[in-house]
Parts: sequence; structure tokens; C-alpha cells
Amino acid sequence: MASMEKRLHKELQALTKEPPRGVHVDQESISRNITEWLVHLDGAEGSLYNGEKFQLVFKFSQSYPFDSPQVMFVGNNIPVHPHVYSNGHICLSILTDDWSPALSVTSVCLSIVSMLSSCTEKKRPPDNAIYVKTCSKNPKKTRWYYHDDDV
Amino acid sequence: MASDTASGDKGSGPNESTETDNSMFECNICLDSARDAVVSMCGHLFCWQCLHQWLETRPNRQTCPVCKAGISKDKVVPIYGRGSTDQKDPREKLPPRPQGQRAEPEAQGGFPGFGFGDGGFHMSFGIGAFPFGIFASTFNFNDGRPGPPPAGSAQHQEEQVLSKFFLWVAVIFIIWLLLA
Ligand SMILES: [Zn+2]
Ligand SMILES: [Zn+2]
Repeated sequence: MASMEKRLHKELQALTKEPPRGVHVDQESISRNITEWLVHLDGAEGSLYNGEKFQLVFKFSQSYPFDSPQVMFVGNNIPVHPHVYSNGHICLSILTDDWSPALSVTSVCLSIVSMLSSCTEKKRPPDNAIYVKTCSKNPKKTRWYYHDDDV
Repeated sequence: MASDTASGDKGSGPNESTETDNSMFECNICLDSARDAVVSMCGHLFCWQCLHQWLETRPNRQTCPVCKAGISKDKVVPIYGRGSTDQKDPREKLPPRPQGQRAEPEAQGGFPGFGFGDGGFHMSFGIGAFPFGIFASTFNFNDGRPGPPPAGSAQHQEEQVLSKFFLWVAVIFIIWLLLA
């Protein structure tokens, strides 16, 4: 509906005006299609990912923000992290069960940056191989079992 | 006059610009200035339409989008600004929830998969007759069968328990039929 586009424009406006550190929206991708955003993410200073560059794709359904966006890493650098599968899928509860319409692209990006920053050992999830072979293309279709947040 | 500024403040330029800068009164869901504003017990502001849609999205887990505190339709306070002409409770504005949305699965889900009867009533009637058949054969019409076992024997006790059980099943079915 129009309300979804209106909200996305508001978010874009805010993100463009005051982008959080290490988060850049790819304006070109959005000018083509407001429902699919490409976001560039920098690994935070002082973290294991310092100096690395990542790309996230956000896909919004018509019922956004009541429905969570579909978020995954894309491109040739998928962060090696215990909650990130090698196909770019992210195991993060706010992307499904704990989603709230008060969250936004900015808050999702910040959560992902903080998830990366708190990592102490670069490794894939233990079930990476089997998951990547069997999962759906859409990470939202996965019945995630949320790992502990102590990584 | 005060009333003039109040009624005119939606269209005028300077007021509008301060309104867009002022995120204090923006709905936490649509990020626009809240229409038919309501505030939750935890103090978070929403358009009633936005909050209502969120509560409908997760009927089993109604939490404040901002702070995750428990929230419910009855525990939000409508806000009436000075300029608002409409003093009606915004919660009454939305079309009422579709009737029986909650009750429906109960009525239909009782015996799924039975093909006879074309309506819900016929279906429950057909099934309702089933325990009566057992009821009757256990109690009254046992011609041709051996007579009742002597009182006190194990078989007698067993039959007592069994008949009580069927009696209860019958009673429950009658109640169920009456309610259905
Ligand atoms: Zn709203
Ligand atoms: Zn709250």
C-alpha cells in the first residue's frame, strides 16, 4: 500500500540526512525500486571485521512495517560469523519473531553491526553446510532456532 | 482569535514546518505525525489505525512496538489536542472487528474431515446420534444378549463403570448440541 512507500521514503530521508557510522544506503538501487534496498556496511573499528566491507539487501513486503523486511548479506564478502550462513542468511531474532514496526532499516543495520562487533571468533554456524543446501531462498521462511546471544 | 488559529493550523505554512521537525508527536509506526493519536500505558504514541493493525497482526502476543511492554486495546488513552474538532474516541472509529473471527475455528474445527451433511448443523447432528446408539444398546434393548451379570461380580462392576461413562458421554453431547 501507499503507507508502506510513505514510510520507506521517510526512513530513506532520515538515513540520507544522518547516516549512522559505517552505514551507507545505495541510492541508485532505491531509485530503481523503493521496495528493495542495497545497504553498504563497514566492519566496525576495533572489531574482528575492521576494514571489511559488506553489502546487505533489504526486501520490503506490502505490509511493511507490520511485516519484517527480508534481510541478508549479498556480494562476494559474506562475513564469517557464527550467526551468518555462507549464503548470506542471518540468524537474528529481530528479523522474524522479535520484529516490531518501531524498528527500521537503521535499527536493523545497527543491530547487525553490533552483532558483528561482539564476535570473538570468526567461524560459520555449526550447521552451515546442511542449512545452505536445504534452506529456502527467503531467510524469513526458515524456522530459526535462535542461538544464545553470547557470541 | 484563538479559535481561528486552532482551526487553521493544519494548512498554514510555518506551523507545518515546525510540525515536521517535531518528531515528539510522530507515530512510532508510520513515522508520520500521529492521526487519531493514542498513547499506551508505557507512554508510547501511535496513530490508532497503526497500533490497531499491529495488534491484529499478532493477536496472541500484544506488545508495545517500542518497549515490548504488554499492551491492549482497552489500555490505551486517546489524545485530544486543542485543535481537534473530533472528540470521539478514536478506538470507536475503526470498523468493528469482523464478527465471530475468534469463535469460528472452534465451531468448525470440532470434527474436521467428515464429509456428510452440508452445513455445520447437519454435521454435528449426525455425529451427535452416534453415542445414543451405544447408550441405548448398553442400557435398555439388550434382548438376545445374555442377562445382566450378578451384582457384585467383576463383570457387573465393569459394566457399571462403562455405563456411567457412556451416560456422561451422552450428557456432554446433549449439552454440546444445545450450545452448538
Ligand atoms: Zn501511525
Ligand atoms: Zn511502550
